[in-house]
Amino acid sequence: MNLGARRMTAVRTDDEAFEALFTAEYGRVVGIANRVLADPHEAEDVAQEVFIDFHRLHAASADYAPAWLHRAAAHSSLNRLRGARRRQKREFAQAMEEGERTLDPQTQLEMGEDRRRVREALGRMAPKPAAVLVLRASGLSYAEVAQALGVGISQIGTLLRRAEDTLRKEVTRGTSN
Amino acid sequence: MVDDLDAKAGTDADHLDGCAECQARFKTISDDASSIATLLAVPEARVDVRRAFETVMRAPKTQPALGRLPFLRPRTRPLTLMFVAAVAAAALVVVAFAAGGFFFQPTTVKAVPITVADIQALSQLADYGTVTWTKEPQLQATTSAADAAAIAGGMQPPVVAQLPAGVSTTVTYGGMSEAQATFTFSAAKAAAAAAAKGKTLPKLPAEIDGATLTITVGPAVGEIYGAMNKPTTGSSTDQINLPQLIIAKSASPKVTSTQVTAQQLEAYILAQPGISDQLTNAIKAIGDPSTTLLIPVPIEYATSTPVNVQGVEGVALGDNTGVGSGVVWVKNGSVYVVAGSIKQSDAIGIANNLK
Repeated sequence: MNLGARRMTAVRTDDEAFEALFTAEYGRVVGIANRVLADPHEAEDVAQEVFIDFHRLHAASADYAPAWLHRAAAHSSLNRLRGARRRQKREFAQAMEEGERTLDPQTQLEMGEDRRRVREALGRMAPKPAAVLVLRASGLSYAEVAQALGVGISQIGTLLRRAEDTLRKEVTRGTSN
Repeated sequence: MVDDLDAKAGTDADHLDGCAECQARFKTISDDASSIATLLAVPEARVDVRRAFETVMRAPKTQPALGRLPFLRPRTRPLTLMFVAAVAAAALVVVAFAAGGFFFQPTTVKAVPITVADIQALSQLADYGTVTWTKEPQLQATTSAADAAAIAGGMQPPVVAQLPAGVSTTVTYGGMSEAQATFTFSAAKAAAAAAAKGKTLPKLPAEIDGATLTITVGPAVGEIYGAMNKPTTGSSTDQINLPQLIIAKSASPKVTSTQVTAQQLEAYILAQPGISDQLTNAIKAIGDPSTTLLIPVPIEYATSTPVNVQGVEGVALGDNTGVGSGVVWVKNGSVYVVAGSIKQSDAIGIANNLK
């Protein structure tokens, strides 16, 4: 026996667990990346890379799986945001996409400009505060943000407030430059 | 603080209900948070989960592969770097001191202190000749011990008697076939490499020019436990790159040589510019280089102590903080390694009970 058969079972079970995890978390992981990148296509790229990384090294049944995915989504997309080449590419894609909408051109322009400024400001922030903001804005609870970043839940309120302050200052700084 | 129940609970919530000042502050905070939420707002991404899942499952990368282990990724920190540097330097030192009596097969291990400058100095030795694989290593990661053993020509992965608390039982096995490489020293190449770097080198002795070292490594088997990048134990994804536990067993490396003796090689290598006195003294203090596997310990990052493992002398690295530790020993013709983000006492415990 059955070593082989047992292994097959184990493999199938892990694949099933991975599929369940994927179904449950994919939308949220894309959501986090999209919050950072403001580009649904690139966000899906990031989300798929994150799942591939996870699947290669971790058991899908691990209790830390969602927290790992959330954190990896935030960090990977923030890393992408900091890449200048990708930023240009993304802005182009974003401009194309927004051009398709039925908003009047002036509003489109202003929205695009605001979004770009906020993303630049996010990219200038330290990884942790940026991640706190993004995860919270993506609808994670305080408890989930705390788990994803490996900090105590009691710190989240303070971390968030400080991060909000920093983002606001960074946005203002970007505007005045 | 906009809408999360965790943010205001219990006595805080009661107090808030009756305190105008706090209500005002809470409102400011809430308004701030709302304005940030507006700033970060984006049109929602519509996803096709089914199609995305199929894309991810088609990616070849979803299979575990030894070449893509996280601690070998470019995103590494000093602790990780230390291990990579140690492995690289170990390979070089083994090559360098391999030729005692034309035959080298270690039966014991010894730690030698090594600095970054030493590693740089030793790494230039690779430019002094040509490496040719005569038998390339085949590496494979599998989910079963039996498959790993098959790749490693029947060598069985060591069995851990008991995992320390907190170490995941998720295990990936790895196997490597026997591999063989030949290094041929070349005085011309050494001179060219030195000239390119603007250095003057001690002349390569005539006996060494054209001499070959044949290095045989493996077969080897091992297993990796756990849960890398476990997020609840650190504050940044970059911090924890070490797997929780790695256990490896390899046939002792063998080196044979033509023309050159260990003493000649030792003298030449220690004459290289940049080698520290510390390393020189430590190597000179080792009695028989042909039977000793040198474990380079980067003195900036790690400490080592001799330790008795399974009745033989081994080397223990790291400490009891749980950040990283390891044990290396040689017994019955095999080199064993137990390492991971565990306490040194746990590493030694596992080593002693390894079957």
